[in-house]
Amino acid sequence: MLGLALRMLRHRIGSAIATLVALACGVMILMSVGLLVESGLRYKPAPQRYAAADIVVANHAITITGKEFDGTTTTTTVPLPEGGTVPADLAAQLRQVPGITIVAVDRSIRAVVPIAATPHTLAHGWSSAALTPYRIVDGRQPNADGEVAVDRRLAEATEDEVRPGYRIPVLVGGAYRTYTVSGVVERAVDGDWPAALFFTDHHAAALNPRPGRADAIGIVLASDADTSAVLAEVRRLSAEAGAKVYTGADRATSAQSEALAARDLLIQVGAAFGGYVVALVVFVVAGTVGLAVRHRRRDLALLRAVAATPGQVRWLLLAEVVQVSLVAVVVGIPAGLFVTGWVHRQLIARGFVPDGFPLSGGVLSAVAVTAVTLLVAVTAALIAAARTVRIRPTEALGEVAVEPPRSSRTRLVIGLVTLGAGVSLTMVTTAARGPAALGAALGMLYVFVLAAALLAPWINRYAARALGPVLRAVWGDSGYLAAANLRANAQGMVTVLTALVLSVGFGGSVWFLQDNLQRQTVEQTRDGLLAQHALLSPAGLPESAVADARAVPGVVAATGIRRTSVITRVMGEPQDVGAQAVDPDSADRTLDLKVTEGRLADLRGATVALSTLQASSQGVKLGDQVAMWLGDGTPVTLRVVALYERGLGFGDVTLNRETVDGHTATNLDDQVLIRTEDGGAALTDLVDRHPGSALIDTAAMNGELAKDLALSAWLNKLLIGVMVGYAALAAANTMVMAALARGRELALLRLVGVTRRQVKRMVHAEQVGLLGTSLLVGGAIAAITLVSVVRTLTGQPVPYVPTAGWISIIGGTALLALATTVLPIGALLRTPPVDGIGVKE
Amino acid sequence: MPAIVGGSAETAVRVGQLTRVYGTGPQAVTALAGIDVEFHCGTFTAVMGPSGSGKSTLLQTAAGLDRPTSGQVWIGDQELSRLSETKLTKLRRSRIGFVFQAFNLIGALTVEENIHLPLRLSGARPDPDWLGQVIDRVGLTDRLHHRPAELSGGQQQRVAIARALAMRPEVIFCDEPTGALDTQTAAEVLALLRSVVDQTRQTVIMVTHDPVAASYADRVMVLADGRIVQDMPQPGAERIAEHLALLGRRQLVAQGS
Ligand SMILES: Nc1ncnc2c1ncn2[C@@H]1O[C@H](COP(=O)(O)OP(=O)(O)O)[C@@H](O)[C@H]1O
Ligand SMILES: [Mg+2]
Repeated sequence: MLGLALRMLRHRIGSAIATLVALACGVMILMSVGLLVESGLRYKPAPQRYAAADIVVANHAITITGKEFDGTTTTTTVPLPEGGTVPADLAAQLRQVPGITIVAVDRSIRAVVPIAATPHTLAHGWSSAALTPYRIVDGRQPNADGEVAVDRRLAEATEDEVRPGYRIPVLVGGAYRTYTVSGVVERAVDGDWPAALFFTDHHAAALNPRPGRADAIGIVLASDADTSAVLAEVRRLSAEAGAKVYTGADRATSAQSEALAARDLLIQVGAAFGGYVVALVVFVVAGTVGLAVRHRRRDLALLRAVAATPGQVRWLLLAEVVQVSLVAVVVGIPAGLFVTGWVHRQLIARGFVPDGFPLSGGVLSAVAVTAVTLLVAVTAALIAAARTVRIRPTEALGEVAVEPPRSSRTRLVIGLVTLGAGVSLTMVTTAARGPAALGAALGMLYVFVLAAALLAPWINRYAARALGPVLRAVWGDSGYLAAANLRANAQGMVTVLTALVLSVGFGGSVWFLQDNLQRQTVEQTRDGLLAQHALLSPAGLPESAVADARAVPGVVAATGIRRTSVITRVMGEPQDVGAQAVDPDSADRTLDLKVTEGRLADLRGATVALSTLQASSQGVKLGDQVAMWLGDGTPVTLRVVALYERGLGFGDVTLNRETVDGHTATNLDDQVLIRTEDGGAALTDLVDRHPGSALIDTAAMNGELAKDLALSAWLNKLLIGVMVGYAALAAANTMVMAALARGRELALLRLVGVTRRQVKRMVHAEQVGLLGTSLLVGGAIAAITLVSVVRTLTGQPVPYVPTAGWISIIGGTALLALATTVLPIGALLRTPPVDGIGVKE
Repeated sequence: MPAIVGGSAETAVRVGQLTRVYGTGPQAVTALAGIDVEFHCGTFTAVMGPSGSGKSTLLQTAAGLDRPTSGQVWIGDQELSRLSETKLTKLRRSRIGFVFQAFNLIGALTVEENIHLPLRLSGARPDPDWLGQVIDRVGLTDRLHHRPAELSGGQQQRVAIARALAMRPEVIFCDEPTGALDTQTAAEVLALLRSVVDQTRQTVIMVTHDPVAASYADRVMVLADGRIVQDMPQPGAERIAEHLALLGRRQLVAQGS
């Protein structure tokens, strides 16, 4: 049977290649997704900075319990955007636990050493040096507030290598100080965390932006300690203090959270996207295999008539598909590895994963992908085979092997129900606001695409009937033939319609959604910034910077802005929401958030301003109290004093700067917005006074913002591009197979006197009919989704669709028709019609 | 040529009260309206009749390719109606051969592979002597490694007959095997079928329109409107033509009235 299958495959090499291409591309995509997920799952952050600690007490994430609608409680753990803290005096309690030799409080303080090539460092108290450990290689530990021990990596990065006794400038807490180098230290473990500075514990505590709090407390056990007893006691004390206990591979610093976030990103994206890809691969492969079987009905019927049992036909198809799948795996897996390499480099270049995040594994993914592919292909073959069992052997006798129309009533009913669900979701989407609407809109997109797939045979048939007069009017007799063909091939072109509706529907909504968000964000920022200048500093700006700016003659207003995140509960689910903290006195002169209700000037005490989107998704009104968590996990309850529209540009939550004081990692401002009189002001002085800072025109900030957004949209666009590309490939495959199977029919037409030109016109008319219908249905789905999502997120009633978008959709479809049908048919037409006709199939 | 009806007492194929209705409701077409007939071993029967009279349907139901709406079919002493599709296929491949008007061959396989196909599918060990003999008789010895597309219509039909003979079936059904062939090639194919009956006492049941083709048979059966209207020993091509002409006239008159 294998040999026979191979022979039959080779004979129908066209459809075998089409199936192979569909499968190999599927394998490639799955392999890529699989490898990225596997790398994420395998990623074990080395304990690095806390390698020498047996136990780390910290707070990297917050666990929030919520209530579902049905009353069940759920718990969700979200990483804390600003890094959580633990009470520093917990250390004193921990020291009482027997079996512990070292308890060291670690506070990581951002510091800049401008004389170093890589100036950004983290400063700590000396006692935490034991947690890595760092060893003194030259000099001694810091003993006074004015002393610092420097990391050898930092010392080597300075122009004339820093040695004990040198005096170096350090920008810390927003101000320059000069320290005497007491010693040079070297870490005992490798890793890619930034170089360190060590002050005395006392000085580090004084500089700590969050007084009384520590980033982590590291514990080293005595060699004879009863580990589990100590651990139990540490857990008890920590729980009382609201801190968590980490051991083993979990002893990461919150600074390592970048890599952890990358790991989560890979796993999440892979899980979400992988599901769609598998579904798409099932659809494409099932379609291609089904079509390949459909084109060979006569052969299969003949086999049945000659002597093959239904089981043998099934085996034959299975054997064929398995052979093709194995080749696809052999081709697709290396291709997948290659592509993953590229994606990995792009992810690093675009900052989605940190440099040095490894791609690891592959064997597991390859095995899983092979299994999934075989499973999908075999299932597709079995479905197709189930259909061929219904092929009666007598079909082999007929002149042409026509497929009986399969208008399954069940499919029609399910399709109509799905369509109904889509329509009712449209109403939900129109009525809802915020993320509820966003969810409904995406659900609606899937439901509509599914409905189109289910109803595809009827859509094709109806379109053929409805388009008949149009095609006849435009293309004359050729149009008449085209309409007849469209009617007859309604079933065969189901895959094409579905794939194109999927491409256009998904591409048109998700892709353009990114464009809309980008554009709106940039627009909101541009329109909302009343200040002409911004003083920025990656090291942070102290409060004095605002006062300094205000003191410059010609300055109308200056506002310090602190960018942070808060955690809010949206429909029971905790979510990380971008926030800004401002000084309410001047904010309405430097920022125009487009306040619709309330006043930004009222942002005093325990108050908050929310974007209208955030307010509606949380279901709160002006004057309501809202509960949320600050970036370090501190719960707060704030009164809503203003609602504003420009949430995309400035963050959905605007807080009073006092509210976040002591709750962000640096406790410094990220920027100071400065509004000047028309004549301008002498602001350059400010830059000199705040080393490490830069003064830029706010108009230039927009360009940067647009670049950042394009970067984050890249991943979404890549994912959607892959899906759309694969669906388009499926359509192309089907169309090529269908076109090449038409040799006989076209020869017959030409023998009865249809000219070559008329045949060509007929094919053009068919393509316009089929692709036009697909574009119309897909475009309608995309439009409905895009309008509701864009309206929800930006308030714009009419979404923006870039001209390039229109051109690529229509041009792409035209190109598809040209490459997959017009050219192959042209080739068929070059053979003399007598060769295409007759008993010699 | 001996014109004996029922050269043997054994029955190769028998159908009883056979009906076949296509479709349902008002569009239903009765292709066979209750047919009773026996075909004896070692005989050659020509089934004739106007287009649409049910000849192909009779052949297909009798050969187990299609299921009757009601009635029975026996191949030897095996009744077909209660057999599963798989059992039916197994019975077909061991005891029945077919030759259709066209599209008999799998394009992917060579002549030899096409001939071996039923053997291969049934897992039976080929008998090289017999196969050699069959191939020799159909005169395709030098064409074994060609593809069907490289053969003429007559050659293709001969391959189909060789394939039908490969399993040494008791009965061979042919539906207009010479319909697409010229006179000379048709004669070759018919002579081959005749020799199968005469030399190996197999049974041939052949649908044809051509009185000359029918003259190779022992018995001529004429169908009209799904019924047997005539069943006679083969009376020679001219008489057959007359009978058909008469039948055609009667039908025209019946339609006209
Ligand atoms: N698959 C089918 N579906 C519907 N009607 C059919 C089918 N096959 C044959 N018929 C009808 O059954 C009748 C007998 O057909 P057939 O046995 O093919 O006639 P013949 O071979 O004598 O020309 C005809 O009226 C034909 O239209
Ligand atoms: Mg017929």
